[in-house]
Amino acid sequence: MAIVAEQSRFSRVFWPALAWITAIVIFFPIFWLVFTSFKTDADAVKPEFLFTFTPTFENYANMVDNYDYWRFLKNSVITSVFATFFALVVGVPCAYAMAFDPSRSTKDVLMWMLSTKMLPAAAVLYPMTFLTKNFLGIYDTKFLVIVVLMLVNLPIVIWMLFSYFKEIPKEIMEAGKMDGVNMWGEIKEILIPLAWGGIASTALLTFIFCWNEAYWTVRLTTTDAATLSSLIEGNRAPEGLFFGRLSAVSTAAIGPIVVLGWFCQKQLVRGLTFGAVK
Amino acid sequence: MADRKLSRLMQAPAVILLLTWMLVPLCITLFFSFIRYVLASSIRPEWTSPSIENWRGFGNYLFVWNNDGFWLAVYNSIFIVTSIIVLTVVLGLAIAILVNRTFPGQGIVRVMLISPFFVMPAVNAVLWINMILDPVLGLQGIAVGGLNEVVATLQDAPLVGWFFSLWPELIPISFRASQTSAIAVILMVTWQWTPFAVLIFMTSLQSEDQQQKEAAILDGAGKWSMFRFLTLPHLARPVSIVVMIQAIFHLSLYAEIEIVSRGNGNKNLPYLIGEMATNNIGAASATGIFAVILANVLAVFLLRMISKSLME
Repeated sequence: MAIVAEQSRFSRVFWPALAWITAIVIFFPIFWLVFTSFKTDADAVKPEFLFTFTPTFENYANMVDNYDYWRFLKNSVITSVFATFFALVVGVPCAYAMAFDPSRSTKDVLMWMLSTKMLPAAAVLYPMTFLTKNFLGIYDTKFLVIVVLMLVNLPIVIWMLFSYFKEIPKEIMEAGKMDGVNMWGEIKEILIPLAWGGIASTALLTFIFCWNEAYWTVRLTTTDAATLSSLIEGNRAPEGLFFGRLSAVSTAAIGPIVVLGWFCQKQLVRGLTFGAVK
Repeated sequence: MADRKLSRLMQAPAVILLLTWMLVPLCITLFFSFIRYVLASSIRPEWTSPSIENWRGFGNYLFVWNNDGFWLAVYNSIFIVTSIIVLTVVLGLAIAILVNRTFPGQGIVRVMLISPFFVMPAVNAVLWINMILDPVLGLQGIAVGGLNEVVATLQDAPLVGWFFSLWPELIPISFRASQTSAIAVILMVTWQWTPFAVLIFMTSLQSEDQQQKEAAILDGAGKWSMFRFLTLPHLARPVSIVVMIQAIFHLSLYAEIEIVSRGNGNKNLPYLIGEMATNNIGAASATGIFAVILANVLAVFLLRMISKSLME
């Protein structure tokens, strides 16, 4: 890089400063949410307490009484973990077969899977409610939420895994075959150890998507299986009366995922672009 | 090859699950779209159960087709998705180029930049529409109020007072109404998805061929022509992927629309369907089928566009 001309003093200061300002502006709403969560509901809407106020933890302390936070958190954790797990259980063999034994139709099948993601969920909302309520009797159960979250994310999971598996040299798998390892053995002994990083980042991203899902989880549950998305959507109404406590519960709802997200930036790019951008 | 069978078997669960997930509800929607079916009706109670005897043919489709609300929703859907995509790509490119250099605190800057992407959509909407955009209690209201106060004080000041008395009083904008709620939705989703574009463009910029660039400098290439002829072509693939992924996610935008306007503002197709489905299932299903057709047209177009770069 020695050849690139020396930057002028102006651009050495100006561009980094602009980068910092941009980052602060973009991060500001999140900061404001966390900041407001330490104000009382009354202080939160008063201009005179915009930046100077006595911080309080009462919003967090009352979160359980106000919103029954733990129940929603528990549902979010359970449904996201199991949906991710089952998506991997179904996705790994599928992606494995597609990556190491592709047929002529593999490409089309992959594209078709991706296209199912584009189907507007709203188009089938009523039939889904109808089916699960009247026929299957599984409306508002964690089981239903897990199944739906798994299905919604399955195309992305398969795509991501496929893009990771594709990069493992076929020869390694062939060598395993020579040694008389059967297919399941191949997956367990060779593929999973080799693609561990890819599988882990797929799991992480799927978990984040499950956690943030806000269409099916809200509309297919009422009380028993409602997740954090439902909690927030259900409490949007009080328009300003409860900014403090709403901020606290929102912070508690996004906190774990935002922090998790910080650690998987790299995997996010690779995963979401299916390996096309590295 | 015996393996072929096994390979099929391994793909079967995923394919069957997705096929069921796609086809079963869709077939029911298709059926409902051809019958008269409402959830509550005191005049025609026979319409309240889905039955083949209430066959309506293409009646629901005609009803929807001739409904202004439907076309408005189609327009809103396309307007919202296109605006978000254009904004995120342009902003994402600008910010990625800005951040793609070494400077003090770049790690923190990147962490701050990416954070909005992980915020739950429901929280995103609640946060923006209440705490930031609310015309009275939000930051918008407070800022406008503060500005008006400052101007009012200056109007009484000697010498410059006459100048400030020419200023009109600022009026905060309500983002829950039908003219503005789409703007609010576009704003909050752009905020959430620009980080995604930044991250992808930045990764792509880092993999740019530096030697090629150095050679270009030796050949006397200017900064702009280097950007135009080297960087932009290099970014073509990430841009197309960002467009596709966002089209997938934003066509079905719902939580944001619901929280921002609760039906008083701009509605997109998914929202309109949800609204119809509170009573007129027949019309909601017909609208749903139209939405599926629209999505399929887009899907074919987008997948064609990027299938090559994905399959390499």
